[in-house]
Amino acid sequence: MSKNNEHDGLDLRGTLASVMVVGVIIVVMWVVVYMMYLGR
Amino acid sequence: MIALQDRKLALWYIAVAYIAFLIGTLMGLLQVFIRNDKLQLPAWLDYYQILTAHGVLLALIYTTFFIFAFFVTGMSKSIGTFGPKVRLFSWIGFWVTLIGTVLATAMIVAGEASVLYTFYAPLMASGWYYVGLALFVVGTWISSFALIGHYRVWRKNNKGELSPLFAFMTITTIVLWLIACLGVVATVLFQYIPWAFGWSDTINVELSRSLFWFFGHPLVYFWLLPAYIAWYVIVPKILGVKVFSDSLARLAFVLFILFSIPVGFHHQLTEPGISNFWKFLQVVLTFMVIIPSLMTAFTMFANFEISGRKKGATGLFGWFKKLPWKDVRFTSIFIAMAFFIPGGAGGIINASFQLNEVVHNTLWIVGHFHITVGTPVAMTFMGLTFWLIPYLTGRKFTKSMQILAFVQIITWSIGMLLMSTAQHILGLLGAPRRTAYSNYNNHPSAMEWFDGILTSHVTMAVGGSILFLSAMILIYIVVMSMFLSPKAVKVEDQVEFPMAESDKTHTPKWLENWWIWIGIAFALIIIAYAIPLSSMIMHAPPGSEGFKTW
Repeated sequence: MSKNNEHDGLDLRGTLASVMVVGVIIVVMWVVVYMMYLGR
Repeated sequence: MIALQDRKLALWYIAVAYIAFLIGTLMGLLQVFIRNDKLQLPAWLDYYQILTAHGVLLALIYTTFFIFAFFVTGMSKSIGTFGPKVRLFSWIGFWVTLIGTVLATAMIVAGEASVLYTFYAPLMASGWYYVGLALFVVGTWISSFALIGHYRVWRKNNKGELSPLFAFMTITTIVLWLIACLGVVATVLFQYIPWAFGWSDTINVELSRSLFWFFGHPLVYFWLLPAYIAWYVIVPKILGVKVFSDSLARLAFVLFILFSIPVGFHHQLTEPGISNFWKFLQVVLTFMVIIPSLMTAFTMFANFEISGRKKGATGLFGWFKKLPWKDVRFTSIFIAMAFFIPGGAGGIINASFQLNEVVHNTLWIVGHFHITVGTPVAMTFMGLTFWLIPYLTGRKFTKSMQILAFVQIITWSIGMLLMSTAQHILGLLGAPRRTAYSNYNNHPSAMEWFDGILTSHVTMAVGGSILFLSAMILIYIVVMSMFLSPKAVKVEDQVEFPMAESDKTHTPKWLENWWIWIGIAFALIIIAYAIPLSSMIMHAPPGSEGFKTW
């Protein structure tokens, strides 16, 4: 199979930042409920 | 435009879907007012009856009928008009599903099936309710095999070629559905029906719940994958870009076949009849199913950014402003996606074994499924409805309908934000679900939960009322697009089915080798379920007789 280079040269910095934001939301929500769990 | 007969079939599916939607949302409105003590139901109608109707009609009937409408249209468009056999079996499937729906709904209305959406034993409905459910599933199977038959004809005529992405995704969803239903069919046919008709005295409760969740969790993905089809295939077309990666899209979908089924125990983490090892194994597998959703999130952002940069956007987030916000087909689905971020994050919390103890059986869960199936899935379906019906009827999607569509999605978002935020917070505080008495009969400690501005019954009632208003606007749009909007005579008025181009040149062929994926799926199911289920059968606790608590 030839090397897939259809995405070469794309500027996806915003995508990287956006998925990081999604990751942060997941972690923050999880930690909040985890702290509640520990506190009960 | 697709063939008239295929359009007719899709329109019938949509019509049933929106009749269910109308009744189901009305039941939702009644609930918030009952919880608020602002409404007293007549003696012949009780809270659990309307709660059952709300869950079944929206989560099962609306979704399933709409999904088949979308599949029929998309399959006819992407791989050609149905042949006579496919059409015949599609219609048989439609009618059997409809008969099952009517029978089950009649039992709920008659007060013979207030067993809630999960119909947990030992609550016992009339045997005819379970017969209705069985017919519903059988009907969808007939329709599913009709679509598989249509796909096989295409594959035979296009040997060695990968199928169009829409068709591939449709078949993936159907495969998932067929495997998932094995659990519910087993429990309904071999446990509930003999028990409810009195042919057996007792039921193995733990086994019935486990078989239900064998079905119940992949059911969530049966709702979600059609929405993902729209996100992967429809949205790029609206944005003016190609599908970001054909291989990635196909891989994400097959991962759902693998990991969405052997995970049902994460709904049963507080149950004593399953050992921790099997629960933990299925929790791990549940976390695997997060991967394809994260792949989807990445792809969506990439689509947005590529589209925005093509239009001249600069900077890190400049592309955001360049998105087609004035196009309701896009904005509706964008909002649906945005709701799925906290929705998905909440799902991870629910499945996190110990953390499940904080939220289990609380209003948090109700809030969770309102910002998963109730908005990401439902609003994607709404976003599809706006153009799908005019596409099928050959009518215009007029300016005034477009404005109304915006009002509809905005009101739905506001109503859902108010209601689901309240439900999430109340759940964390300890308010239970599946009961009309979330405040423990006005116990002072429980009453304090409902004092907050965000968590008061009034906020929930306002949210619920706005949602109902939004639902009625949608029904108006549906009726107009079906029967009353002007016919699109000019070519520029005709509504298109937006289906993005997908470059298959680099996609490996093994991604469409069903034997691999179905084989691995069954292997995982056997690993996750064979021992615990056989143990439930061989070391069965005393069975339970049926209870009718209403």
